Amino acid sequence: MDITRRKFIQVTAGTTAGLAVSNLGFNFEEAKAYSKNLKTKFAKETTTICCYCAVGCGAIVHTSKKTGRAINIEGDPDHVINRGSLCPKGAAIKQLSENKNRLTEPMYRAPYSNKWKKVSWDWALSEIAKRVKKTRDKSFEKKNSKGQIVNRTTRIASVGSAALDNEECWTYQALMRSLGLVYIEHQARI
Amino acid sequence: MTKSFFIDTTLCTACRGCQVACKQWQGLPAEKTVNKGSYENPPDLSGNTYKVVRMSEKERNGKLKWFFFPEQCRHCIEAPCLETAEDSSAIYKDKTGAIIFTKKTKDLVADDIISACPYNVPRVAKNGILTKCNMCVDRVHNGLKPACVKTCPTGAMQFGDRSTIVSKANKSLAKLKRKSSKAQLIDQKDLNVIYLVEDNPKYYFKNAIASYKYEGITRQMAIRKIFRPLTNIIKAVERIG
Repeated sequence: MDITRRKFIQVTAGTTAGLAVSNLGFNFEEAKAYSKNLKTKFAKETTTICCYCAVGCGAIVHTSKKTGRAINIEGDPDHVINRGSLCPKGAAIKQLSENKNRLTEPMYRAPYSNKWKKVSWDWALSEIAKRVKKTRDKSFEKKNSKGQIVNRTTRIASVGSAALDNEECWTYQALMRSLGLVYIEHQARI
Repeated sequence: MTKSFFIDTTLCTACRGCQVACKQWQGLPAEKTVNKGSYENPPDLSGNTYKVVRMSEKERNGKLKWFFFPEQCRHCIEAPCLETAEDSSAIYKDKTGAIIFTKKTKDLVADDIISACPYNVPRVAKNGILTKCNMCVDRVHNGLKPACVKTCPTGAMQFGDRSTIVSKANKSLAKLKRKSSKAQLIDQKDLNVIYLVEDNPKYYFKNAIASYKYEGITRQMAIRKIFRPLTNIIKAVERIG
C-alpha cells in the first residue's frame, strides 16, 4: 500500500500523543483484571466418584448456574483416596457429558455392513437379549467330559464394570451365573 | 509473593495427568496425534497445548533408562521474552512471578519472542496470539494451585512460595545426590519452575536446559528494536489505509 504524507503525519502524531499519555503513568491494570475472577466462582459444586477404574477417586463437578452444564471437573481435595489428584482419564471426565462427539443413542452395525445406524433402546435391548439367549442355549453344557454336572456356557464372557459397588456386583454376578457364565472379569485386570 | 514450581522428575510416571488437567482447565481442544514409536503425544507444544510430558529412552550403564520431563514455560525470573517485547500490555510479569502473554502479543514479532526463549516454549496460536503456560494465575490469585500441580497423582509437581519451594528442592537434591552424583536442579537460580533431574538434563529433553545463557539482547534484536518505532508506524498506517 502507499503511505501518503498525510497518513504518516496522522499516525506519528497519534503515536506521540500516546507516548505522552503513557509517560504520565497510564497503566494497564484493567487489561490484567481478567485473571482475577475464577470461572468456577459462581458455579454449583457437586461431589462425584470417577467412573473408570476400581480405585474410585473423588472429584468435584462445577456446574454453571446459568446453563446447567458442567464447566469444570477436578480432584476433590477432601477425598481420602486421591486427595485432590486425578490421573489423565479422571482429569478428562468432563467430556463424559461435555463433548459434541459423544454418542447419545444406541448405534447398530449389521454383520458385513460398513455403516452404523441409530436404533431405539427397546430394539437394542431385546436384540441383545435374543442373541444372548440363542448363544447360551446353543452352547450350554450340562455335563463335562468326566460326566460331572457343570451347567455352564463357555461361549459368552462378561468384561467390564470395575466401578460397580457391592450390591450392583451381587446383582450382576447373580444374573451372569444364572446364565451359566464362567468367564466374568472386570476391565481393571485386563 | 513470588510463587514457584518444583518438579521432581524422579517421581514422574509420565501418566500425563498434568497435560490433560491443563487442557481441561484452560478449555483447550484436543489435537490430532500420530504414533511416533513413543507414548509421547501431542507432538509438540502448540497454541492448544501448554504442557507436554517428554519421554526419552537412553542406555545408561548397559541398561535402558526411560527419562520423563513434563515440559512447560519456566516463568524465568528475568524473562527474555518480556525484555524482548518491551510492551507490558502484551507480556507482563504478574505479582506471582508468572510471565503472562495477553491478546496483544498478536502485534509482536512472533519470531523475536520465540527465539528469545532459551527453552523454546512460546507458540503462535491460529489467531496469531502467542501462547504458553500462564501458571493458571486465575487459580493462584484465588488461593488454588495450578491445574497441573493439583492433579499430579505422584506428587512429582509441587507449587508454593518461592522460598519454601527452593528449600524443598534443595532437600530433595541432597537426598538424590547420595544415589546419583549427576543429580541437579536445572537453572534453579533463574527460573520459577525448578526441575530435579538425576542425570544429564540433555538426556531428558533437548530443551530441558537453557540453550544459551541470557545476557541481554542479541545484536540482531537490537537492530530490530531500533527500527521498531518505524515498523510500528508503517503497520499502523497499513491498518488505517
